[in-house]
Amino acid sequence: MTLLWIGLGSLVLAAAVQLALRGGGRADRLFAILVLAGAALGIATAIGVLRDGTTLTATIPSMLPGGNWALGLDPLSAAFLIAILGVGALSATYGIGYMRYDEEIAPWPSHAFFALEVAALSLVVCARSVMPFMGAWELMAIGSLLLILTEYRHAEARRAGFIYIVATHVGTLALFALFATLARNTGDWTFGALAQGTREPSAARTAVLALALLGFGVKAGFVPLHFWLPPAHAAAPSHVSALMSGVVIKIGIYGLLRVVWLVGAPPPWWGWTVFAIGTFSAIFGVLWALAQHDVKRLLAYHSVENIGIILMGLGLGALASAYGHPALAAIGYGAAVLHTMNHALFKSLLFFCAGAVYREARTRDLELLGGLARRMPVIWLAFAIGAAAIVGLPPFNGFVSEWLVYRGLLQAGQSADTLRLAVLGTPALALVGGLALACFAKVAGVVFLGTSRSPRADQAREPSALLRLPAIVIASVCVAIGVAPPFVIGVMLRAGGFVESVAVDPGSAADVSRSAWQVAAFALVLLVAIGVAAFLMHRLRVRVSRRVSDTWGCGYAAATPRMQYTASSFAAPLLDVFGAASGVRTHRGPTVFHSEPFDLALDRAIAPAWASVRRVAMRLRRLQQGRLRTYLVYAVATLTVLLGYLVVRGGA
Amino acid sequence: MPERATPVLALILTLLLAPLVPGVAARTRAVLTGRRGSPIWQLYADLWKLFRRGIVYARVTTIPFRLVPVVALAAIVAASLLVPLDGRTSVFAFPGDVVAFVYTLALARFVLVLGALDTGSSFEGMGASREVTFAALVEFALFLCFAALSVVTHQLSLSGMAGVTLADRWMTAAPALSLVAAGLFILLLAECSRSPVDDPTTHLELTMIHEVMILDHSGPDLGVILYASAVRLSVLAALLGRIAWPVAKLAPALRLAALVAALVLVGVLVGIVEASMARLKLAKVPLYIAGGAALSAFGLVLLLR
Amino acid sequence: MRPLIEPILLAVALTNFAVLGTSRMTACVRMLAMQGALLGVLSIAVERPLSVHSIALGAGTVAVKALGLPWFLRWAMREAAVRREVEPVIGYMASLLLGALVVGVSFAVASRLPGMVPGQGGSAPGGLLVPIALATLLSGLLVLITRSKAITQVVGYLMLENGIYLFGLTLVGRISFLVEIGVLLDVFVAVFIMGIVVFHINREFDSISAENLVELREA
Repeated sequence: MTLLWIGLGSLVLAAAVQLALRGGGRADRLFAILVLAGAALGIATAIGVLRDGTTLTATIPSMLPGGNWALGLDPLSAAFLIAILGVGALSATYGIGYMRYDEEIAPWPSHAFFALEVAALSLVVCARSVMPFMGAWELMAIGSLLLILTEYRHAEARRAGFIYIVATHVGTLALFALFATLARNTGDWTFGALAQGTREPSAARTAVLALALLGFGVKAGFVPLHFWLPPAHAAAPSHVSALMSGVVIKIGIYGLLRVVWLVGAPPPWWGWTVFAIGTFSAIFGVLWALAQHDVKRLLAYHSVENIGIILMGLGLGALASAYGHPALAAIGYGAAVLHTMNHALFKSLLFFCAGAVYREARTRDLELLGGLARRMPVIWLAFAIGAAAIVGLPPFNGFVSEWLVYRGLLQAGQSADTLRLAVLGTPALALVGGLALACFAKVAGVVFLGTSRSPRADQAREPSALLRLPAIVIASVCVAIGVAPPFVIGVMLRAGGFVESVAVDPGSAADVSRSAWQVAAFALVLLVAIGVAAFLMHRLRVRVSRRVSDTWGCGYAAATPRMQYTASSFAAPLLDVFGAASGVRTHRGPTVFHSEPFDLALDRAIAPAWASVRRVAMRLRRLQQGRLRTYLVYAVATLTVLLGYLVVRGGA
Repeated sequence: MPERATPVLALILTLLLAPLVPGVAARTRAVLTGRRGSPIWQLYADLWKLFRRGIVYARVTTIPFRLVPVVALAAIVAASLLVPLDGRTSVFAFPGDVVAFVYTLALARFVLVLGALDTGSSFEGMGASREVTFAALVEFALFLCFAALSVVTHQLSLSGMAGVTLADRWMTAAPALSLVAAGLFILLLAECSRSPVDDPTTHLELTMIHEVMILDHSGPDLGVILYASAVRLSVLAALLGRIAWPVAKLAPALRLAALVAALVLVGVLVGIVEASMARLKLAKVPLYIAGGAALSAFGLVLLLR
Repeated sequence: MRPLIEPILLAVALTNFAVLGTSRMTACVRMLAMQGALLGVLSIAVERPLSVHSIALGAGTVAVKALGLPWFLRWAMREAAVRREVEPVIGYMASLLLGALVVGVSFAVASRLPGMVPGQGGSAPGGLLVPIALATLLSGLLVLITRSKAITQVVGYLMLENGIYLFGLTLVGRISFLVEIGVLLDVFVAVFIMGIVVFHINREFDSISAENLVELREA
């Protein structure tokens, strides 16, 4: 564990460096080195834990209630820690280059908060008793708020921060209730001790599972608790969005897995609920993403979709556990963890590229971009890889985790009990994949291909190396995992098996491992086929004449860039199929057509509920007299009532 | 004939005979509408001609445009490695390879759509938009079919789902499986852009789906893309044939003959449909795909009971 | 030291009455200072084994409550240059009667409070500590409500804090160092803020009557 503490200490030191030196080139270099080094140490420790399957622990004595602080690293924590530190360090490095574009604000507080946030996130997964967990959880929430408010001068950022802090504290309330229920009978608040208390079915267990869904669900961001995600991602700087999408929302998933580990095999109703929520979030997340004009809001909704896919895996694991198929449960949980890692990778990659485009072209609006492939070829290549990965196309890493989920679902379909209904998830997952393909074809095509639709896109250039290198690193990892999945799958199965509290039995592990090698072989075959086909095409092409001319315009000679297909038109047929559920408002005038997406959960459900709460509160305002004396009388009256209650009830 | 050789032979046979299937369809349609029509080997002649024509690239295009024929060909060949074309096994199989099959085709579609958007043309953008819309719905329905097959055969791999085990289960689950086969035929028409979803003989860009996406391709590029489309049609036709009539118990030579018969028969069926139905209004196509999905879903429900 | 406890507690009760009954602000502050000194001595008397810790705590209490805070209040009175007359809302006789009533209620309630085991620590001699603590607390609240000048309200608040401090003394031996320091810090900060408030109230309204504070609500 020592290496891990040194690594986390390095992160804190990096923050201190930025604060002490108040930014500047030297501080930035030192910051990047410290963050990367710290992350490397932490990742090394985590890989060690995953490889050996052991658990590391440490205890810090504390005078506060709740006993001593237990910290440690088990396979589940280790898997998440790798994602946290990897994405965190790369985003911090990217952030240094990204914030240099902004002349208004000094970036050094933001960099410091970023390093501290990554440290807080690491502490959340390392916590093994209630107090450090909740303490780190709150630190993480406040840290995220500060990061979202980096550009606090814009009203959009302030509104996003407000929605975020309200949502996350509702979740924290649920978590308080959850831990209170778990710890009501014991004085020892370590996770190991809490695990003993709720293995039997009881009202407390039901309450714990339901509260976990609410508390961790707000953080994870599945429908309908996702409403804070799109504003927060759009308003925050790109490296913060990368951290939030890639890591912070995954802490919700970590929490759910941890609760499952604490409570033991969950009841079937919970498994079906999670599975249904996952399916629903996946389909609607990507549908709403399709409707967006703003690149970052689009990516935010895609995060909702991928959380849905992860929940489908988690639900599958829970269902298999409930119906008594531990091997399949390990696959389900392992698939969830694997997709978490993969999504952390390609979502941050996409945010890096989107951020580079935003900084260079100074707009996030899809309808004003175009033709950026020639101006930013490296970013284009990285984005293309990220897009192919997130859609789940072979030979990239998204395909591997989606394949694992499909495989689990199909295997569930063969069982004799109610579990086989889970196979209905496969068409849903296919629909999600098809919608994702539509969405990313739209984004990649409209932003990078064709010709530029506005002067803003013309001024874009390839960004600096600080912005390109993190993207290249992640893109390479995506390809590597896609081509050589067995290394990752074994590790993920170990994490999944840990959640199920089973040692992954060698038979089924070997089975999945062998099929993972076959997937790798297929990816290789595909790459070889592409290589051979490229060679063949080259031979065919050199034998004939080649020339360059204009695009065929059906005889219309003066095609302008604005005549290219727009992003909203591209998405329109698919959105029409889903009708009112797509969340698009259209405005049609005699010469004008305007379509605008809105969030169904926020605008149709939460905002009206908030408005009625405000109405009631305004009526209660009459209690607020404004006179000091009245408030003092309120205080004394309350005290008198309480004392009277004590007198009447009698002392202990 | 040794066991391992049959799948490879089936694959080679399919690759060689693929251009015949669109030709059979076109000839059937012509004959049924009272014309003589072009010979069934017309596509071979077209490909020969195209491979010797010059190429014109649009100025705006970059790499995706040039990658389209490469990935289209590579993807369909890699995907057909997973299909049990000979009725028993495929060249390469692993649990969950049905996912690889569908998603490799999706890879080809992704690059095709990007290539279409690369040209900066409104027509190609329109075609791309329609293509992704229908493809999303078709994939949904396709997995209903595959889920049904997986449930009935208790197999995770395409070779299992359409191979030996299916032959055993066919008798007991015939009604459900015929529903699945019917649904698969409807989806095949949608996936391969045949009538009633898309008329392959239209010349109006505004009514095209697939052809308009390849409007700017020429010469060998266009030839390879047309060939890849034909292979895709053939592979799906072979799969449909194996599901409708499993032949896993027969001798290898008979199985290969059955493969050829399946290709021709499906081609004729496609031609009959094209001759009898007008092309659907674009807004009605989702309903059409939903019809195919409903058939497969009904079959799946029957099997899950 | 044990026999000292009872007289000291009675003296504290008397200071409560003195604050309630006097009409001069300087007298209020002086009574408060005496109350603070009595509390300091009490905290040393209550500790069984006399240690450096307890003497330091007692000395600290005397320094803050008997010397520091009253000096600060006198400085505030000078700065505000106000008339040195307490202006109560309900009259001095009524205040004294209410004070007596408060003491009676405290004795009645004290035995019913859960967790207060008579005979524990410093509350042994006839169990005076808890009732006097409660009485001081409630007298402080009474002063807060029935006085209009800001400085007298600070005095009331400080009496309230003294009552809480007395409650803390019942937990002698079980309370940790951290909480004691916390209480002292809490008082210090509160008075500091109040001093600033007094200064600003005076500047705004040219008087330190809290009656002027009628806009303490949202729009």
